[in-house]
Amino acid sequence: MEDIDAMFSDLLGEMDLLTQSLGVDTVPPESPSSTNKEVNFSIGFTDLNASLNELEDNDLDALMADLVADISETEEQFAKSKSGHPEPHPDPKSFPPPLQDHSFPTPAAVIAPHIPAPVPQTPTPQPPPPSQPSKPLLPEEIEAQAKADKIKLALEKLKEAKVKKLVIKVLMNDGSSKTLMVDERQTVRDVLDNLFEKTHCDCGVDWTLYETNPELQIERGFEDHENLVEPLSAWTRDSENQILFLERIDKYAVFKNPQNFYLWKKDKKSLKDMKDKDKDLLLEENFCGSSIIVPDLEGPLYLKEDGKRSWKQRYFLLRASGIYYVPKGKSKTSRDLACFVQFDNVNVYYGKDYKHKYKAPTEFCFVLKHPQIQKESQYIKYLCCDDAWTMTLWVTGIRIAKYGVTLYNNYKEAAKKAALSSLWSNRTTASNTSTPSTPPTAKTAPQPNGHAAQPPPPPPPPPPGPPIATAFSEAWKRGDAKDHGDASFLPPPPPSDDFLPPPPPNPMMSLPPPPPDPMMPPPPPPLAAKKDLKAALKAVTPLPAANFPPPPMNDFPLPPPPSDLLDAPPDFLPPPPPALGPGPGAGGGGPPPPPPPPPPPPPAPAMSAAPAPVLKKVGPPPPKRTEPVAAGPPGGDFMSELMLAMRKKRADQ
Amino acid sequence: MAVWDLSVMVEELGPEAPPLTVSVTSDLHIGGVILKIVEKTQIKRDWSDHALWWEQKQQWLLRPAWTLDKCGIHADARLTFTPQHKPLRLGLPNGVTLKLRACFSSPVFRTVIGLCRVLNIRRPEELSLLRPVEEKKKKKDKEPEEEVYDLTGVPLTSGSVPSLYNGMPAHFADSPQTEAVYKMLSFTQPSPAPETIAKMYRPASVVDKAHIHSRWLDSSRSLMQQGVQENDRLCLRFKYYSFYDLEPKYDVVRLTQLYEQARWAVLLEDIDCTEEEMMLFGALQYHISKVSQSEPPPMTSCPAMDDLDSALQSLEVKMEGESSSMDMLETMTAPELHDYLKIFRPKRLTLKGYKQYWFIFKDTSISYFKSKEEGFGEPIQQMNLKGCEVAPDVNVAGQKFCIKLLIPAPEGMNEVYLRCENEKQYSQWMAACRLASKGKTLADSSFTSEVQSIQAFLSMQRSNPSAQTAQSDESINTHSLVSPRYHKKYKAKQLTPRILEAYQNVAQLSLTDAILRFLQIWQALPDFGVSYFVVRFKGSRKDEVLGIANNRLIRIDLGVGDVVKTWRYNNMRQWNVNWDIRQVAIEFDGNVNIAFSCVTANCKIVHEYIGGYIFMSTRSREQSDVLNEELFHKLTGGHEAL
Repeated sequence: MEDIDAMFSDLLGEMDLLTQSLGVDTVPPESPSSTNKEVNFSIGFTDLNASLNELEDNDLDALMADLVADISETEEQFAKSKSGHPEPHPDPKSFPPPLQDHSFPTPAAVIAPHIPAPVPQTPTPQPPPPSQPSKPLLPEEIEAQAKADKIKLALEKLKEAKVKKLVIKVLMNDGSSKTLMVDERQTVRDVLDNLFEKTHCDCGVDWTLYETNPELQIERGFEDHENLVEPLSAWTRDSENQILFLERIDKYAVFKNPQNFYLWKKDKKSLKDMKDKDKDLLLEENFCGSSIIVPDLEGPLYLKEDGKRSWKQRYFLLRASGIYYVPKGKSKTSRDLACFVQFDNVNVYYGKDYKHKYKAPTEFCFVLKHPQIQKESQYIKYLCCDDAWTMTLWVTGIRIAKYGVTLYNNYKEAAKKAALSSLWSNRTTASNTSTPSTPPTAKTAPQPNGHAAQPPPPPPPPPPGPPIATAFSEAWKRGDAKDHGDASFLPPPPPSDDFLPPPPPNPMMSLPPPPPDPMMPPPPPPLAAKKDLKAALKAVTPLPAANFPPPPMNDFPLPPPPSDLLDAPPDFLPPPPPALGPGPGAGGGGPPPPPPPPPPPPPAPAMSAAPAPVLKKVGPPPPKRTEPVAAGPPGGDFMSELMLAMRKKRADQ
Repeated sequence: MAVWDLSVMVEELGPEAPPLTVSVTSDLHIGGVILKIVEKTQIKRDWSDHALWWEQKQQWLLRPAWTLDKCGIHADARLTFTPQHKPLRLGLPNGVTLKLRACFSSPVFRTVIGLCRVLNIRRPEELSLLRPVEEKKKKKDKEPEEEVYDLTGVPLTSGSVPSLYNGMPAHFADSPQTEAVYKMLSFTQPSPAPETIAKMYRPASVVDKAHIHSRWLDSSRSLMQQGVQENDRLCLRFKYYSFYDLEPKYDVVRLTQLYEQARWAVLLEDIDCTEEEMMLFGALQYHISKVSQSEPPPMTSCPAMDDLDSALQSLEVKMEGESSSMDMLETMTAPELHDYLKIFRPKRLTLKGYKQYWFIFKDTSISYFKSKEEGFGEPIQQMNLKGCEVAPDVNVAGQKFCIKLLIPAPEGMNEVYLRCENEKQYSQWMAACRLASKGKTLADSSFTSEVQSIQAFLSMQRSNPSAQTAQSDESINTHSLVSPRYHKKYKAKQLTPRILEAYQNVAQLSLTDAILRFLQIWQALPDFGVSYFVVRFKGSRKDEVLGIANNRLIRIDLGVGDVVKTWRYNNMRQWNVNWDIRQVAIEFDGNVNIAFSCVTANCKIVHEYIGGYIFMSTRSREQSDVLNEELFHKLTGGHEAL
């Protein structure tokens, strides 16, 4: 372990040297454009180091890859640069590498003072400051290659250079959490897929990334097509908002039982035993035509009056173009209606505990506001319904009006994933051996710099023993049964019930390094640069062995694997796992707080086979896990060398 | 067998000529009769389109192999030997009247198919013919009926897919006249003058709307059988609001006419909408007419190309900057706007008015400084407009050019007014604000067109100081874009900013997209696609309204207008018509039986409407492009047709 860290700091030292020699570290972070404010940025952490410590192996690898790329580029520049042209060091997206010698202690899990920007804290120039535009590579490339290629490449690079990344902390419904990196190109769907891989849940369509805002006491599920980074960027720095990963039956209820939303006026009995054929027809009529039809929804709602804690009843109507109300003394014919709100600039949220907070007539409130508004404001509209079902109708209706056919496409996509994964689990239970191939559903997060070919990290230690395994599968069965129960009829989703108790200490956000210049050229093109990169690497340091292991290992020996392992069973179930007893589960139960307890003893390789069947039943085996342990062909390939080295490290530990 | 005389009128002999008499036997077939007639006329011409029409029975004798006996024709029969295709004046959805030859002998369903083939409209089963409202208060009563396009010279092609020539079906490419007809069909008409709209017949109530629907022709019988004469006027309309497989590539005429029908439905308040929706409809109409006027369809840019363009642009910038020194780069950065403007923030309760600062617009942000000289330092404030709301606050006559911005922030929306000096400045800054609100920068290729469209809209306000001088110049009076209700409610200059506000969301649409958007919004209206009939339900003592839509029947209270009940077709077990008492009876799942007689319309029309929608819903399942005519008649015909 030590020598890995030694190598790592070596590497960083090297980088410092290079950057210093280029005279870049003196360039202040002069974030030239306000549009690209935060490029690197973590959410839900006390500070950046905490966030890094929790990143999983592959994410760390990705970060490392960034660093390495930077180094190689710097190296190249160094070689080429004429002394007259101080070449800045481009570092579009790497995080400041956490070092064992960082100048301040990693705050404990408890409420650490919020530290706004980590950059100034680190006196050493390790986090390379954003650089000036520099593109030493471009001209040569352009001359060398065909024109079409150039354009494509350039486009690609330009995009890459501007990609914003966040490290986010997602709270599971058992109170634990997962940390992952998302970039701005990723949709919520991608992130969900990512989480499916990490948690081995059933991949059902109801899984949702859920945003809560404790200050306003509102929450909403992100839609699958949204780019996650965008709404998160609207959070304030001191935000106590959280992202949850949970199942929400209201997410796609309208597509499972469209009659409950489109024919809600009919008597409940006839709706309950609606035939599938008729449901399909309803969906086709309302979602597959050239125009989306919103549910025919109208009725009295309470509207909170501006700045007061009083609520006034009005008769509201939902139309595709917005929500309208009937003005006093007017009829509800279309031409008399007054527009209450249109949906272009607002999102719909559930309001929580408004009876208490705002003296709402009932607890069934929903809120319309611009996504960027994070605090109380006269521009937020609060509405209150008589019962939970009415609220579900309205919120769903608004979502349909706002997102239209996109919502339906999201559902179809999600259903496809769910079907595929169940297919997979059925198939894989038959054979006990791990398949090294990637299931079609599995989508790995885009790796920075296009290092897609990275060797997957070694498999984490397998779950410790049968107790968990059985509890796990039992729970799975129950979850399954519950799911089928839902399908026949949708009860008014209890708005607050399936919401979890707030997880422990509240993480805060921290601001990582300043943004790079948006005009800056991207790192070397993924493919072309790869070879140079390797060469450069070899030249610089005895890196290979030290390259990929997660840097913080020294401080917190091997946090990610155990957390991953221990999270797995509880994560995919709505209720917390059945009492596991004070087994190993309790030992590693709290992976979220930065320094997790020492992991369980390293596994014997043989054990890895034992839990496999159980895991596979649940979801497609993620590729990283199924990588055969002994498969790495020794020598030859640089990557496999790395892997071997890492594995050895782990085993030695 | 006995020989007897049969008298036949032949139009070609002249109106005064006495009927021809041919001697026939009862076992002579119709073909033989025709042969005899032709020989007797001694006129050499193409008789192939002619057929015998039996006047007393009001029917065609179209089966040449049938004998007179089999047809039941005796010596007292008065027959007419006449062409099956006759000219008809056809009112199109866009309000233009077109003269063309239609088949008077086949069922209207097939006649419409023929018309649509000539007009190049796909999916003819969705259309049908409607008798116009009485001449007096007629819909399109252009006094001397001046502009009648003539297509009677066009031969009817039998091929199902007309070949294209010069981008139009070959039969339109024959002459400049026919080309003009095609242009009329495939381009949207300019907006009508507000007075024209005001003069036209508007249904005032559901009952009025129900009366319109009593005018549909029977699809199972021929035009002649329904008393339509040569050169009569009929309206071609989309009857079934279930538009299958709209494909802009093939459906130029269909889309255009559909848009026209929708536009008139909105303008004449045939369908109700809210004020906001009306403004959006107005904005789309304005945009559509503007885009279709500029001949070659402009700005058919796709976002990917924009992306590429701007990427290439900045690539260029970078490369140049690279080769030279650093400061070169500084000057080569993205475009920006800078000017002295006045700002006003009504946030606090102060009465402070507009204050002048030096403004710089860059990327998606506005920064302002005390003066130009300080423009390189720290701005007093920087506002990122991404996701903000932009609204115009303009009065050309008063030379007021303000931009109202609602900028989102965690604490709420910040209200900011920017005041520009003149139109030019305003249109640039306004365009920049709009693009920025969508996350686009000044470098975006749509900037110039955005500026132009804002200027065009402003000039609308300027060139119409008095609202009544409309239509002489090319500009449009905003009153022509909305229904007469809003003529009374708003003056043109009050209306313009409202429409302008809606317009900013659609200004970048291509012609086709704008038309499609219009149709989408139309179809999303709650009352869309409902055809009304006044009926009397069995067991009820008062008249009620039955609404027929593409998926359901709606029972509506005539007095209040509330929906009492809906039944969906997919729950329908069977329906039948008792032709004697003219009652439609329908059975739904779960032993729900309803029966009603029709008050405003023939119950055949109601029956055909329901059957027609069920026919429309079968289309998706059929793979072939061939219309199942037989099924249509089966579903809509009733025993009369058989």
